[in-house]
Amino acid sequence: MIGDRILGVVLLLLAVVYGWEAAMFPEPFGGSEAVGPETFPLILSVVLGLSSIYLLVRPDEDEEWPHMKMLAELGFVLLILAIFTLMLQPVGFIPATTLMVGVLCWRMGAKPLPSVFTGVGSAVVVYVLFNFLLELHLPAGLLKLSGG
Amino acid sequence: METLNFLLQGFAVALTPENLMFAAIGAILGTVIGALPGLGPANGVAILIPLAFSLGLPASSALILLTSVYAGAMYGGRISSILLNIPGDEPAMMTCLDGYPMALKGRAAEALAISAIASFIGSLLATVGLVILAPILAKFALRFGPAEYFALFTLAFATLGGITGKNQVKTVVAACLGLMIATVGVDITTGNQRYTYDILELYEGVDFIIAIVGLFAISELLFFIEMHAGEGFKKVSLNKLNLSMKDIIQVLPTCLRGSVLGFIAGVLPGAGASLGSFLSYTMEKKIVGKSGYFGEGDPRGVAAPEAGNNAAANGALVPMLTLGVPGSGTTAVLLAMLISLNIQPGPMLFTQNAELVWGVIAALFVGNLILLLLNIPMIGIFVKLLSIPPKYLMPVVTLVASVGIFAISNSPLDLYFMIGFGLLGYLLRKLHIPLVPVILGMLLGPEMEKSLRHALTISDGDWTILWSSGLSVGIWAVAIAGLVLPYLIGPVLRRRMAAAQDRDHSIVD
Repeated sequence: MIGDRILGVVLLLLAVVYGWEAAMFPEPFGGSEAVGPETFPLILSVVLGLSSIYLLVRPDEDEEWPHMKMLAELGFVLLILAIFTLMLQPVGFIPATTLMVGVLCWRMGAKPLPSVFTGVGSAVVVYVLFNFLLELHLPAGLLKLSGG
Repeated sequence: METLNFLLQGFAVALTPENLMFAAIGAILGTVIGALPGLGPANGVAILIPLAFSLGLPASSALILLTSVYAGAMYGGRISSILLNIPGDEPAMMTCLDGYPMALKGRAAEALAISAIASFIGSLLATVGLVILAPILAKFALRFGPAEYFALFTLAFATLGGITGKNQVKTVVAACLGLMIATVGVDITTGNQRYTYDILELYEGVDFIIAIVGLFAISELLFFIEMHAGEGFKKVSLNKLNLSMKDIIQVLPTCLRGSVLGFIAGVLPGAGASLGSFLSYTMEKKIVGKSGYFGEGDPRGVAAPEAGNNAAANGALVPMLTLGVPGSGTTAVLLAMLISLNIQPGPMLFTQNAELVWGVIAALFVGNLILLLLNIPMIGIFVKLLSIPPKYLMPVVTLVASVGIFAISNSPLDLYFMIGFGLLGYLLRKLHIPLVPVILGMLLGPEMEKSLRHALTISDGDWTILWSSGLSVGIWAVAIAGLVLPYLIGPVLRRRMAAAQDRDHSIVD
């Protein structure tokens, strides 16, 4: 119940802000016509607004939400993906991938050693496959300095 | 006759050694993707689009590769249904009912072989149906004006929840979110900026491929972690195949009936593969009557839903190719692929890109044959793959998805967007907001807005043009029915589907 109610409020806000911004669009060059850039967004805003009110009035049963610990775990997974992205260009594909795949395997329940192994293995295989077979260049990063 | 000519030309495209290779690779990858629980066809095709894209393949090869993946995923879905009692994707659900009991009785290999044959017949007949029906529908669709198209796009959303859909309002919400994301960027007609907030990267809008991969693949990873599903599932072992011609002949009529029903369900909006397999299973049970032992491992109970869902999957390509309106998640992803290759599906596709369309249709025939040949002798290898625990598999799948996204434009920002969509996908799924309408909204948004503007420009701002022709009134009527009917029929159908499954479980326990 509460999940759908929160969703309803968020969507209603979204609908109002979205619609209000559409109404504020500057008039297009060459004068306004029957349909402008704001027409379609305004329709969407109305439809979404009505739907979100329905959700507020008649919410569904809630799905079971994970506990704090699991939420932290899921947040950590997203963080790892972000760190992977951050490392990709400066540090290079192989170290970034080893870290990302290794940590993900570990968090999904694998033992540390097989996790590291999967990380290194997938990093090297994908790198070689992409750079040499498919000729798509993944960032070499630090390895470039040593490997030329 | 004209059609036959085109089809022959199509085979000339599909049978070049290079394209044959792509069809084979796609078929293998697709089977693997379909077989692994949690990956599913929509997900699999989504992960492979950016790769096919950044490899710079010619349009026909990329399409052949991905349609083979699509066909393969439909085949693969049955493997985990039969061996694990877990459907690889939703349409494979009905296959569990008799497939798993057969496997428990030590007839897993026969169940797999029969389902492969049924899948083959289903796909083959539906592809024939596609060849016959698509050009007719394409010709008919030439009469559609912008008002009809606007109604048609609405219909696509209204029926997407399917007749068994639970909460239609949530489908509408999802569609709105997708359409709203589609409005971000520079407006094509006037050059106005909309919702870009002066961020340069948003000028071209949000790339739907990034959204698809994030919504599907990354949210799936989060769900696996939440459910502690890393260890994998216990599976039934495979026996030596012992299948006689008699067994095949016994299920043949079942396959034929299932295919016809499945194809019709696939073509119609709002029905889709899940309903296709459900209908063929229940009808078969009625026709066979008391002499059958459905739910306890009757081979006909394996053949019917498999023929049905494969036929429906190919039937769903008819509205996708001829009208540009997909009826299911996977066809929506295939539409994404077409649009990213700069091909706008619709009636003109069959005249402007005839070679391409017919090449793809021919590839469906070829891919099917490859799949049948692969799936009977090589089934052991696919079964082995099922024993790779998800704790190693999902991280690698995530890696492949990220690499694909990164390779599109070498931009880390795209990856951050993907992660963001992953979080959004997780939240939406938790709140039971379906993801497919979001994606469809992003895909159809620009065209839908264009047809609205076009219609209103013609009528000089008179909104009644949207329902002024008989054709458009008809489409609106179907759309409204699609939105309202699930409230009336849905509960009954859902109860029946659940009852069918409960019976199955009580036998297994």
